[in-house]
Amino acid sequence: VASAARLGNKVDAGLLVGCVVLSLVAVALRDQDREPIAAALRRTVVAPLVGLQRGAERWRSAWVSSAQRQLVTDSLALRAVKAQALSAENDQLRKLLGLGSRLQSGFVPAEALHSTSSSEELVTTLTLTAGSTSGIKRYSPVVAPEGVVGTILTADPTMSIAMMYTHPDFRASAMSSDGSAFGIIYPHRAQAGGSDAYMLELHGVPTRSQLKPGTVIYTSGLGTVFPRGITIGSVVQEMKTSEVWTRTYLVRPAVSPSRLGSVLVLIPERVTQGIGNVWGATVNADSATRRIAAAGDSIAKQAAVLEARARLAALDSVKRVTIDSVRRSLGAPTTPLTAADSAAMRAQGVPIPAQSTPAPVVRDTTRVRRVPAAATPVPRRDSTRPDTTRPPRQ
Amino acid sequence: MNWTGAVRTIVVCAILIVLHYTLRPLLAWRASVDFLIVALLLGSVRMRPGSAAVYGFLLGLVSDSLTISGFGAAALGMSLIGFAASWLKAVFFADNLALNGFFLFLAKWAFDVIVLVVGLRTGGAELAMQIFVWSPLSAAVTAVAGVIALSLLKPLMEARST
Repeated sequence: VASAARLGNKVDAGLLVGCVVLSLVAVALRDQDREPIAAALRRTVVAPLVGLQRGAERWRSAWVSSAQRQLVTDSLALRAVKAQALSAENDQLRKLLGLGSRLQSGFVPAEALHSTSSSEELVTTLTLTAGSTSGIKRYSPVVAPEGVVGTILTADPTMSIAMMYTHPDFRASAMSSDGSAFGIIYPHRAQAGGSDAYMLELHGVPTRSQLKPGTVIYTSGLGTVFPRGITIGSVVQEMKTSEVWTRTYLVRPAVSPSRLGSVLVLIPERVTQGIGNVWGATVNADSATRRIAAAGDSIAKQAAVLEARARLAALDSVKRVTIDSVRRSLGAPTTPLTAADSAAMRAQGVPIPAQSTPAPVVRDTTRVRRVPAAATPVPRRDSTRPDTTRPPRQ
Repeated sequence: MNWTGAVRTIVVCAILIVLHYTLRPLLAWRASVDFLIVALLLGSVRMRPGSAAVYGFLLGLVSDSLTISGFGAAALGMSLIGFAASWLKAVFFADNLALNGFFLFLAKWAFDVIVLVVGLRTGGAELAMQIFVWSPLSAAVTAVAGVIALSLLKPLMEARST
């Protein structure tokens, strides 16, 4: 048994040595010598494994390409979503550029970062990316192309915090577009998160001034914060309050907080100078509408005056005709109707009575001796030649 | 080992070899699973050391034929690993999955070191990085996968003993 075991060990050792030697020979082979051996193995014994590996790698590449396609699809969808946001932002920036070109100077552009905390349901403040080094001070007006956004609450050197019109402390002196009604703009005290959470209230409008829904409200410039003529919003409806001598209106702001991306801050010098007619397109349109309405009113008034005059003239004519008929019956001389009287009576449908016409002028025609037509014959002109002119028959 | 046991061992080793050429390309991990080492150890502990060396040599040749460089290095490494596994089976390979996992780890790491050094595939810092970072990672992954595979194939292997 021991000898068999020794023999077995020797065989094992021999096999190991043989394998090691063969392996080392394979390692030592040159590339051109080892490649035919490897290729022969790949074509024969290892061929099924090569096929399996190739299939697995195909599956792998298909899965990877599918994942890449999915990534491409996802990125395209993401780009489409971003494109919409970029389009909206582009639109807003274009409007802001237009506002900047109309203002020309005296403003600081800033990017608005919404600083709503999780506990704050209503957006009341904005963080702006411009500060006091740019000329921004406390209470500088913040505007957007659509109108008033708010005022600066704190101005740090490189950034500032703006109080939006939804802030409980926001106030603005306001007026209607025609300047007939003045009041103070307050944030609407509504339940946060409601549909009218971002509305405004126009307080202190005199009772005699009644504003129709849709009337545009502008800053009046009576305060020192906002210059005159910046759009605030439009009247929605009158609110019922306990105040007797003043009216309160619910106003829909022109600026939507959700669309705010970039704003302009008016520096104090610009506020002092005023903004002119920057938001005037709306003012002009409103004034034009009012002028057209006023012109229509004046035409209607003129027509009414003319109608009243015509009616008066007709009455006068009727009265005159009646007097004449009475006079005629009494044998007194009558007053003849004028052309205007006749026209007025015709317009009113009153029958025109028969009038006494003056006696016809008798003309003495005996002094004129009438010559019969045959006595003065006209030569027949058949031709222009004189020799063809026939003498008249006697 | 009777014929039935031999057939079952061959089937299990074949499954592992097929997994090596199907599952590994699908996963394509940087530290990949080496099912050939698992198949080598599983077969070697049931053979004489000389037969295990030849078995390792053949498996190594199969592996070498599908690699670009270092032809023969895998054959040398697997011959030595197979011989050592068969020679040390009575000492180390107890019926303990954790211990089996540990020796799978050692076998894979030793095989990688032999292949990298003999095959002269890399050198310098890259060789050190391969030996001390990627090879241990690959050995750990192989040990885990080998333990899982042995657990799954245990009923088949136990049927051999009954």
